[in-house]
Amino acid sequence: MEEVVRIVEEEGIAYNNPIVIEGLPDVGLVGTIAASFIVEKLDYKEIGHIESDLFPPVMVIHDGKLKNPFRIYSAEDGSVVVVLSEVAVPPKAVYPITTALADWFHKIDTKQPVISLKGLPMKNRMDIEKPEVFAVGNNERAVADLKAKQIELLEEGFIAGTYAMMLRECSKRNISAISLLAQCYPVYPDPGAAASAIETLKKFVTSLAIDVGELLANAEEIKLKARDLMQRTALSASEMQKGMEQDMPIMYR
Amino acid sequence: MEIERRIIKAMWEHNGNLEPLCEVEDKEDEILVTFDLPRVSKENVAINTTEDMVEVIAKMSNAVCWERWGVVQKKITFQSFRKQIRLPEPIEPEKAHALLKNGILRITLPKIRRKVLINIE
Repeated sequence: MEEVVRIVEEEGIAYNNPIVIEGLPDVGLVGTIAASFIVEKLDYKEIGHIESDLFPPVMVIHDGKLKNPFRIYSAEDGSVVVVLSEVAVPPKAVYPITTALADWFHKIDTKQPVISLKGLPMKNRMDIEKPEVFAVGNNERAVADLKAKQIELLEEGFIAGTYAMMLRECSKRNISAISLLAQCYPVYPDPGAAASAIETLKKFVTSLAIDVGELLANAEEIKLKARDLMQRTALSASEMQKGMEQDMPIMYR
Repeated sequence: MEIERRIIKAMWEHNGNLEPLCEVEDKEDEILVTFDLPRVSKENVAINTTEDMVEVIAKMSNAVCWERWGVVQKKITFQSFRKQIRLPEPIEPEKAHALLKNGILRITLPKIRRKVLINIE
């Protein structure tokens, strides 16, 4: 049977037990903004893409070159892999894309955590100067790692969307997965939250020698470019039960 | 309908206006409307309200210029944000107030309320 989601890699890519950074679009576009900034600043190489009949029939043109909007990048030494997208993930594609990616992480045999960069929507974000970052780990190893790095855990609540399924699918394959959630605007692109997420990510990826000052200095420019993706992501989010993240679980302790 | 509208309607116009991202929150006694307005300072924002509508026109400090964008195939410049929102309930324009902080404009629009105490028989 043909796979619903296909990971297409360039030939001859050597992975070196990589840390995987996932930055698919979600609230505040935190992951997308952060992942794009990392890839650009560290000059990571495009090594593949993700395709599926469930994705919108869209390609993107950069510098006159045709590109797939769902792309995979790698550091030169194969120690870091970044997954990002320039289009919103359709709700129907969430399960197949996370399953396919988790299978692929298993195939490239990473023993490092898969880290999703996401936003934690805050109604009062306007009054928060520096967004805090919280985390969810999918197993004891991941939680111990987060505690050792003194990253505050999200203790109670629902999580919804690609990163929730990424945690689950990685669990099934015994891969450690972590979601870093930066406080963000629910429906506005949030470079400030992306900067906070990168700062926390540096605790896991020591080679991430980038200054988020540039990201913050260009925040207005980024917000202007990210308007359309934010609009479409917000439309997808409502179908992904993102609203549930504001709910109190019945078994709250 | 909303999704269809977004497919055919882009968030920009050829007259130099961009449509800002916005959110409307219907609270008990007021309607909260926020707009994302990068490159905008308070002096350059005009807010007009009636009982059932709010309109924001905001001039950017630096115009946005995209030179290589495929849709238009030429240089295009945007100077302002402009958006009109129809409100879900009538409000009292005179009691409305606004705050611009970190590029986000928040307008608080108190609803018209005529409270009548009902006696239980």
